[in-house]
Amino acid sequence: MHNFCSVGKRVPKIDAVEKATGRAQYIQDLKLPGMLYGKILYSKFPHARIVSIDTSKAKQLPGVRCVLTAEDIPDIKMGVYKDNRPLKKGKVCSYRDEVAAVAAVDPETADEALNGVEVIYEPLPAIFDPEQAMKEGATLIHEEHKTNVLRMPWKLHYGDVDAAKKEAAHIVEDRFTTTWVTHCCMGASGSIAEFDPANNLKIYSNTQIPSLAQKDFLDALTAMGLKGNRVRVIKPVIGGGFGSKLDTYAYEYIAILLAYHTRRPVKVEFDRTEEFIATSTRQPTITYISQGCDQNGKLLFRDINMILDNGAYTSWGATTPSVMMMPITSLYRVPNVRYEAKCVYTNNTYAQAMRGYGNPQATFAIESTMDMLAEKAGIDPIEFRRINANKPGDVSTQGLRITTCGLEECMDAVKEKLEWEKPKGESEGVGLASLIHVGGGARVYKSDGCGTIIKMNDFGKIDLFTGATDMGQGSDTVIAQIVAEELGLQIEDIHVIHTDTDICPWDVGSHASRTTFVAGNAALGAAKKIKARLLELGAKQLEAPLEKIALRDRHIQHQDDSEKRIEIGKLLRKAHFSHGGQMLMAEYFYDPANENMGKDFRGNMSMTYTFGTHGVKVKVDEETGKVKILNYVAAHDVGKAINPMLLEGQVYGGVMMGLGYALTEQVILEKGENMNPNFRDYKILTAKDVVPIEAPVLETYDKDGPFGAKGIGEPGCVPTAPAIANAIYDAVGVRIKDLPITPERVLAAIREKKGLDLCGQELGRDDVDECIIEE
Amino acid sequence: MRKFTYLVPKTLDEAISLYQSYGERAKYIAGGTDVLVKIKEGKLAPDYLISLKHIISQDRPFLNHETGELYVGAFVTHRMIETSPLVQAHYPILYDAVKNIGSVQIRNVATIGGNLVNAVPSADGAIPLITLDGKANIYGAKGQRSVDLLRFFLGPGQCDLERGEILTEVVVPRLLPRTGSAYIKHGRREAMELPMLGVGVLLSLEADMETCAKAGISLGVAAPTPIRALQAEKHLVGKTINEETLAEAGKIAGEESKVRDSIRGVAWYRREMVAVLVTRMGMKALERASRNAEVGMGNK
Repeated sequence: MHNFCSVGKRVPKIDAVEKATGRAQYIQDLKLPGMLYGKILYSKFPHARIVSIDTSKAKQLPGVRCVLTAEDIPDIKMGVYKDNRPLKKGKVCSYRDEVAAVAAVDPETADEALNGVEVIYEPLPAIFDPEQAMKEGATLIHEEHKTNVLRMPWKLHYGDVDAAKKEAAHIVEDRFTTTWVTHCCMGASGSIAEFDPANNLKIYSNTQIPSLAQKDFLDALTAMGLKGNRVRVIKPVIGGGFGSKLDTYAYEYIAILLAYHTRRPVKVEFDRTEEFIATSTRQPTITYISQGCDQNGKLLFRDINMILDNGAYTSWGATTPSVMMMPITSLYRVPNVRYEAKCVYTNNTYAQAMRGYGNPQATFAIESTMDMLAEKAGIDPIEFRRINANKPGDVSTQGLRITTCGLEECMDAVKEKLEWEKPKGESEGVGLASLIHVGGGARVYKSDGCGTIIKMNDFGKIDLFTGATDMGQGSDTVIAQIVAEELGLQIEDIHVIHTDTDICPWDVGSHASRTTFVAGNAALGAAKKIKARLLELGAKQLEAPLEKIALRDRHIQHQDDSEKRIEIGKLLRKAHFSHGGQMLMAEYFYDPANENMGKDFRGNMSMTYTFGTHGVKVKVDEETGKVKILNYVAAHDVGKAINPMLLEGQVYGGVMMGLGYALTEQVILEKGENMNPNFRDYKILTAKDVVPIEAPVLETYDKDGPFGAKGIGEPGCVPTAPAIANAIYDAVGVRIKDLPITPERVLAAIREKKGLDLCGQELGRDDVDECIIEE
Repeated sequence: MRKFTYLVPKTLDEAISLYQSYGERAKYIAGGTDVLVKIKEGKLAPDYLISLKHIISQDRPFLNHETGELYVGAFVTHRMIETSPLVQAHYPILYDAVKNIGSVQIRNVATIGGNLVNAVPSADGAIPLITLDGKANIYGAKGQRSVDLLRFFLGPGQCDLERGEILTEVVVPRLLPRTGSAYIKHGRREAMELPMLGVGVLLSLEADMETCAKAGISLGVAAPTPIRALQAEKHLVGKTINEETLAEAGKIAGEESKVRDSIRGVAWYRREMVAVLVTRMGMKALERASRNAEVGMGNK
């Protein structure tokens, strides 16, 4: 293999010191001259008609500059399905519905003004269970839609599942559910909108889709009668995305509208409670699954029917079935597959993209039933998976073309590191689950591209403008490593700028684990152009043939004669400050050769796929139901680790997010109302909860990836829950099919298995009492 | 956040006199880890905060060697208790409880008095102190008084303090010989966690090192206030302490508890955990009592 200088090195994030010393400027730190503070009034009911809104008291309050309701604003439609508005008109459909907004000279005055807005509601019957909401005659969330089931026909059938069912020697069938969890970005949401005198908009916002957000805001300007005006999106330092910033939100439009009405910059900044209540969750699912195999353990079919709680409005959560199709059709070789998903409106909070984009929900059902099927067939879980493992060169029923695939090697790594066959102690067990995820972009839009511009200065340093978004995952560092490697520069020579749509090229967004692959390839493409010109200049200067010179250590040098070398900066100055001078600039737009899904959902959505296997050893406390993680191994085929340290960070973070999903996290909604909008009661895991994690990395050198790399942003949290559920089954023989796997659920299952009731008695006891105050 | 005036009295009398001047518009504050959160959440809106942090008092727990009483000043931080060799060696039940409250950052500023006067059923600090038969010393305009800490808690968020009164310290009486104690917070994660259930057990043994001379069993989040499971304690006295008798006591304690469903846990599970954890903490207390007796230290 090539001897790399920057690629493959454990380089700390280039912004690490700035962040650790508090100098990084988040949206919370930004303040513009004359800036006002916007606040939002939310609904008091999950479903109600708005009879009237009286804003007169709020408007009279000193310091209040503007109060807006739906009456005051144009019809701006938001979201994937265009079923949402920044301020709600006529009725509210969930507790997080925005009813009014104010701008005032300080946040306290704005808060006080909200109290002065008088809204009279007429409560309507509300519906919180998607299976109920699907029924004929159910209360309609959006009357004009005529039904609560979204018109998004997620439905595929490859091969013949019914025929395969008749042939199968072993079949398992079950129901699995997952619940609401939320991203918990440490940096809460916020934006500042400002219009210039000519009504061009500048908006500072936490977004992972600057180019698409710009388009959304341009549409908003058009609705406001400002067609043709410019929108400039500026990203501050972002404290975590995880999919939450993949859409534009009401608060951003509200900032824009308040700024427009007041002619002043307006900041809307969420506090933590608002962050919990008014941002979107992962999509909860109800999954009915059956899988079957033949005598030898070869999978014959997979049949899945899924119901997704869409909440009251539609964001990307409703499109997660498109990604779920990938593990459903293509995790292991399955010749016959049927899948149908219905997204259903309810009066709950609405869902969004979240790390893994549906994959964790689907994999929970698939990998739990894989273990159940292995047991039925009498085959060891690893062997069962090996029989069915994907291999390089496979084309799945959905048309996914598997190029590099280290799935079996990942299983081997887990088997070895977890000491799979070693006898276990009492109440201990091991379990594993695998994953497939897009690793070479994902063509969900018409373009999956990213642009990069490189300009070199007179000192051999680079300003690199990329469309990519670094929201904490470290893409700036990875891009710098790739470019430094290609041009023989040091990482600190590369200044990555990704913050401003006025200067950065287009990118579809930081999602689908695509940034290293797509933005990395875009940066590499631009660097290659620069390299060609540098070599050309160098060849002339060193009077050597092109093929004899190379870029190394900030120099251009003759390969056979180390005395013949010139510093790149010096070479550039010579080129610049001479007659007919030139400066080095290059652009490159990389759009992977992946495919949009066709009508039947077939299509190779990614250039390559990332595989992985997670294995876990647990000990279950049979008296309390508590699950202790003794060891965790997360093996991934990543193509090539550009930065092993950042990669491990992605895996550790993903696993901890997955552990929370599996064991503790849940947005508790009671009749649509968020009961735990704080870190006290929302059980995200803490530093003290971190378990021993090993993250073996398998490098399969993908021919399409930059230096062979594939995406690894999301996989870390995909198979965590089923691996743990499988380990619990191995330990104590109970199968938990609902997330999170709480001690209560485990204990109840253990008692049920022993033929006891919840209290360890043979008879039932009535324990339903009213709640008490406790803090 | 609402604005307020921050007052810094140097003595208890000065603090009380300030409170008398401002009455309802004032609120005492010590570590501030609860008061400030409540102000931010809009649940409290005082115009004056009277800080108790600068009142001269003992800043760590200390033992009165003549009486054998442990004094824990109300303004002592949880971190001070946690790092006290005295507490670690002789009052492990208190150490078990304080070392897992919130985070190090919170324990560095939050005071034990604040934990007690909040009077929430989940107060980790309260359970060990009521198990140890602590008494609350209270100072107010009418002077000093003392009340059993167990009776100090009147209901969720309510304690036996008259307007303007200040909890100044908790006094733990001399421990019987051959005593061991332990506390467990049952929760869902390892830090920043309120207990779904808190269980403290104290056992004093006869000279035979197996017969129970005295038992203390306390429960948090098992009723509207921290409680002692008196029937369960009674069941143990005079009996040989072993897993079996402790399990019986645990079961009785479960029945004595008034657990409810809440978003933090369901009643049946809490009741079951009372039984399990009383047994476990009892065994731990027994082991500690034996160890103490062996090395011949403490608990005189």
